[in-house]
Amino acid sequence: MHSVGRSFHNLWTVFRVEFTLFFVSPIVYFVGGVWLLFFGVFFLISLAAFNQGYEPTMAYMLNTMAFLVMFIVPALTMRLVAEEVRQGTHELLLTAPVRDWEVIVGKWLAVWGVMTVFILVSFVYPLFLILRGNPDLGLMASGYLVFWLWNGAVLAVGVLASSLTQYQLVAFIVGEGISLLLFLANALSSSSLIKSELVNNVLSALTLSSHQTSMLDRGLIDPVDITYFVGLMAVFLFLATQMLGTRRWRA
Amino acid sequence: MIQVEGLTKYYGPFKAIDSLSFHADAGEIVGFLGPNGAGKTTTMRILTGYMPPSEGRATIAGFDVFEQSLQARERIGYLPETVPLYKELTVWQYVDYMAALRGMRNPNRAERVDEVLDRVEMLDRADSMISSLSKGMRQRVGLAQAIVHRPDVLILDEPTIGLDPRQVREVRELVREVGQERTVLLSTHILSEVSQLCSRILIINKGQIVAEDSPATLASRLQGTTRLSVRVGKATPKEVAKAIRGIEGIDEVIPTDEGVEVISSSQADPRSAISATIVQKSWELLEIHSVDMSLEDIFLQLTTDETMDEEEDQDA
Repeated sequence: MHSVGRSFHNLWTVFRVEFTLFFVSPIVYFVGGVWLLFFGVFFLISLAAFNQGYEPTMAYMLNTMAFLVMFIVPALTMRLVAEEVRQGTHELLLTAPVRDWEVIVGKWLAVWGVMTVFILVSFVYPLFLILRGNPDLGLMASGYLVFWLWNGAVLAVGVLASSLTQYQLVAFIVGEGISLLLFLANALSSSSLIKSELVNNVLSALTLSSHQTSMLDRGLIDPVDITYFVGLMAVFLFLATQMLGTRRWRA
Repeated sequence: MIQVEGLTKYYGPFKAIDSLSFHADAGEIVGFLGPNGAGKTTTMRILTGYMPPSEGRATIAGFDVFEQSLQARERIGYLPETVPLYKELTVWQYVDYMAALRGMRNPNRAERVDEVLDRVEMLDRADSMISSLSKGMRQRVGLAQAIVHRPDVLILDEPTIGLDPRQVREVRELVREVGQERTVLLSTHILSEVSQLCSRILIINKGQIVAEDSPATLASRLQGTTRLSVRVGKATPKEVAKAIRGIEGIDEVIPTDEGVEVISSSQADPRSAISATIVQKSWELLEIHSVDMSLEDIFLQLTTDETMDEEEDQDA
């Protein structure tokens, strides 16, 4: 039968190959370059603020990057499912003795792994602060944690977007659009456009800023916030799995 | 090994296959023969667990392809019509990936990948990018991924399409070898392929099986029948057909673009009578020769003359 061990084997198999595929394509180097460039720019801006006596934290950098991530990340995920469908290789995945969710989650873990590499490289900036100043390490760690979780959620959105279409550009734009909605949902609720309190509460509960502020600015890790990110990942990966499954009917 | 009962698949209102039933036993190479669009690929996609059937069921080694899909899929090696390859991977990485997806683990897996690449004579190109391979090599890599996990059942959709004659022979040789150990279901629209390779042929047309037998039996159906091709100068095919229709021993005369086709089932050779008639009319006899009746004829008869068959049935 399909055991837990077999699922790990399958996830690892998909992860390994997808991770390898990222580094043979030029996109990853381009995205990585843009990523580090922006990180550097915002770090310089932060440095200027630190010189004027502001607390040396990563909050400004990570908050800005959390916004930029939505424009960068779909470039990594757009290929994942869309290209398989276009090339017909999904037929092998769907006829191999692996479950659809193992394919989706394996791919997502691979792209999250790539993002984790980017994030690790960006550690040179906080390292610089640690060497030269006296920052709050706990605050820094919780800030990076929430940023890493947000990346995972946006990537899950991107994987879903890629599973909707066989055109990478469509996947890119849809991925961007859905994550922007998550980012901006509370703008709608504060616009007094929507009168219902319930809807407003739901919208603001769905918004990134409601869940990143305490970790980013105050270093507080609330299980509710962690649940928010894990929930986003689970929902979008579930939907992506369902979309991959529809290829069996749409063929 | 393969059991198919009443398999039906609709694409919207279109019935791609219509209550197909057949079986393939262990160690058999079964040829799935039919014109394009007959439902070969659809059937194979259902058998491999890619899509569910609308009605009916199919089992692989006793496992239902829909209900027990994962167990069934573990026992299948599949080569789709357009070989699905990751062009950015090397040959070795690709076959290793497919082996791992089918549940093989190291260290056995790496050994087996080498072994199977050696078998399809691609070991020397193991580290080449797939994007740099020729069409024939890609086909061999596709075959390698299909057999790497030693499946009980091998499903090959048009394995020789688009290859040059030498490559076609290589691939057929491979299939024959593999078929000695496992059950092979092979689709093609090339007749010589099935008659060379397969122990049994299923002829499928418009989603239905129209004939099922060994190549020899199918061919013997037409034994005792001769077909003559006649070309005549200074007369139209219709005039010729009219003139020779009454000759003894001729069953049927079909005017074609260039001349007439004569079908005869009698022992007496009608050729001398035909030439005498033509000379008597002072036409010019340009050519008269007998055409071998082959699987091709059965195939054409079964897949194109459907309306004619129906009329004959009504007459009877």
